[in-house]
Amino acid sequence: MEDYKFLFKVVLVGNAGVGKTCLVRRFTQGLFPPGQGATIGVDFMIKTVEVDGEKVKLQIWDTAGQERFRSITQSYYRSAHALILVYDISCQPTFDCLPDWLREIEEYANNKVLRILVGNKTDREDREIPKHIGEDFAQRHGMYFLETSAKEAENVERLFMEIAVELMEQAKCKELPKYDGSLGPINGKTTSVGDSSCCLRS
Amino acid sequence: MDDDLPTDFQVIVVGTGMVESIVAAACSRIHKNVLHLDSSDHYGGLWASYNFDGLQKFIKEVTSDPKKQVQVYNLIEQWYIEKESPPEEEKKDGEAEDGKTEPPKKIWSQANFASEYRKFNIDMTPKLLFSRGPLVELLISSNIARYAEFRCVTRVLTWLNDRLMPVPCSRADVFATEAVSIVEKRMLMKMLTSIVGYNEEEMNNEFKDWNDKTFKEYLTHKGLTPNLIHYVLFAIAGGTDDMPCLEGVKECKKFLMSLGRYGNTPFLWPMYGSGELPQCFCRLCAVFGGVYCLNRPIDTVATKTVDEGKTVVVIESKSKTLNCDHLVIGINECPKDLVSPEPAESCDISKAVFITNGTIMKSEKEPLTLLRFPPLIEGGGAVTVLEVGPATGSCPKGLFVVYFITNKVTDAETDLKPYAEKIFDMSGGDQTVESEKPKCLWSLFYNVKDTSAPVESAVPSVHVCSGPDAGLDFDRAVDQAEQIFKKICPGEEFLPRAPDPEEIVFEDDVTHGPEFQREQEDEADGDTPKE
Repeated sequence: MEDYKFLFKVVLVGNAGVGKTCLVRRFTQGLFPPGQGATIGVDFMIKTVEVDGEKVKLQIWDTAGQERFRSITQSYYRSAHALILVYDISCQPTFDCLPDWLREIEEYANNKVLRILVGNKTDREDREIPKHIGEDFAQRHGMYFLETSAKEAENVERLFMEIAVELMEQAKCKELPKYDGSLGPINGKTTSVGDSSCCLRS
Repeated sequence: MDDDLPTDFQVIVVGTGMVESIVAAACSRIHKNVLHLDSSDHYGGLWASYNFDGLQKFIKEVTSDPKKQVQVYNLIEQWYIEKESPPEEEKKDGEAEDGKTEPPKKIWSQANFASEYRKFNIDMTPKLLFSRGPLVELLISSNIARYAEFRCVTRVLTWLNDRLMPVPCSRADVFATEAVSIVEKRMLMKMLTSIVGYNEEEMNNEFKDWNDKTFKEYLTHKGLTPNLIHYVLFAIAGGTDDMPCLEGVKECKKFLMSLGRYGNTPFLWPMYGSGELPQCFCRLCAVFGGVYCLNRPIDTVATKTVDEGKTVVVIESKSKTLNCDHLVIGINECPKDLVSPEPAESCDISKAVFITNGTIMKSEKEPLTLLRFPPLIEGGGAVTVLEVGPATGSCPKGLFVVYFITNKVTDAETDLKPYAEKIFDMSGGDQTVESEKPKCLWSLFYNVKDTSAPVESAVPSVHVCSGPDAGLDFDRAVDQAEQIFKKICPGEEFLPRAPDPEEIVFEDDVTHGPEFQREQEDEADGDTPKE
């Protein structure tokens, strides 16, 4: 068994080009990848963090470019514990699409999934969406809110750490979405996520 | 946004059914440039799973569009419950996590179904996986298994002496069961052992004289009692009286070989329904650069010869011209003139879905059941029944979804209702009454055109994918996908293992890394935000 106490699945959604992959790679690798190519070859990334002295493994899933023509598989949302919805603060259309994304989330994700709205690219000079507009939107839809810059590494660590802390809190109160008892992945690897009883019993 | 769609691909796949999706993944995996389209707004085509709302839309679409009725017809939807709940029966959140104290039986109304629509995942093509079958092996070897979760089928039942009977599957089951005498147990074990030893190449002595005889004759010849013959022929082999001996032996062997890997039975069921599986392959395709576009019908398909005598397939879609070297297309999307010859008329499939308020046979834990009926109607075939509960993500707590599948004789309702009435109370009425049979709350009967026969295309660079078959597993789809892949990419490996996230090396980091790595150090030193 690998050395961690909790394993959480975090998935990112949002329009193409808002910086989802950059956020993931900034957090997991400490890098800001150059170039704007679509996300190729990246499935999910893993980073283990420590919360209150306990190891928490975050499995962070990227969209594999399927958001480009609004064709994300619904299976992508399955078994997620946290869902990060990202827009680009310098690009109004990415904000205008949020209701569409919320509809899709409502449809396919567990209704107890932790939702975080992220306005990315605070490093940009040409901001189009004021912070309070983002905050308002998040509040109205019961989401946490944070502005980040993957490029400047601003709030990225904080974003994922807060998710880890919150999910651990929920796991301890057993309020986490439940994905218990299934056989899980058939290859016997430990990519199965969540509060299977062995993970939770402390 | 559609304007961004590139126009030139090595492979274009039209339709997101099982075969199409596997081919798309296999091509993309070896770095072919793949575009994957579907005319509808969801994945899976006839292999899809729908939530209750999606299913209602599907029913409406089919009943209002004669073109769709070429594939799906004779739809009959029926409710057995009231439109609205009586006010005092205000429902509690169906998701109460602690099911320890048994709550009073819920009275379901149509309104409850509508409000909990998201919790349903109803399959158009429900199928099981053999634990050691080709699909499970492929999911594991390709690493696509990480996109899916499964549950074990907990029991196999049959209909014997006018009641439901559990079928002993494993060696342990055979010895534990009280339905079979000691002598019968020995007989059965001996027979099963000889079947496991059956090998097509060797054609070993045991079966060499049985080529033209039925499986039933063989089982009778082995001195099996009528009960045992019933278990082996109907429940384990899924056959009928006229099943050829060698076919029966093969089916039995498949069943026996898959025992003991994951659970008590040889079968797995995909969480959230069979419709998840094509999506897993699509995800892999996308991860390796495949471009996805739903809601994208195609208008015409043509071929043109460019210089060097190379043939290019040209597709018109939403007034955009798309070119590819190979077109992989689902039979239902394929222009008729590309199919040659017209597939022979085949026996269509009768299907039904029931939603009930309890399992067909009580058990300690939530069961996941395969039930195989022997033919009860003159001239009819065997009927396969799958019952799945809330733990599979198929329905809200308190309900079960039950699928019926058989070959069409008359129409779905005539073919299947007599079987349903054996195991459900279909009279409507008071849902709280404790009775042996669960109440049927909702039902849907429909026929599907059998498009599962392999079809050759008139053009070598167009590859036609079959539709779903009536069989229990996905084996035919997997096999066909591999055949198509080999035609497109001769000599290439079919879905080699995808790397785990830890193994991925990002080449672009090498060239541009240093500049940004400094920032990483900053970040690590102190969390000072930058202006």
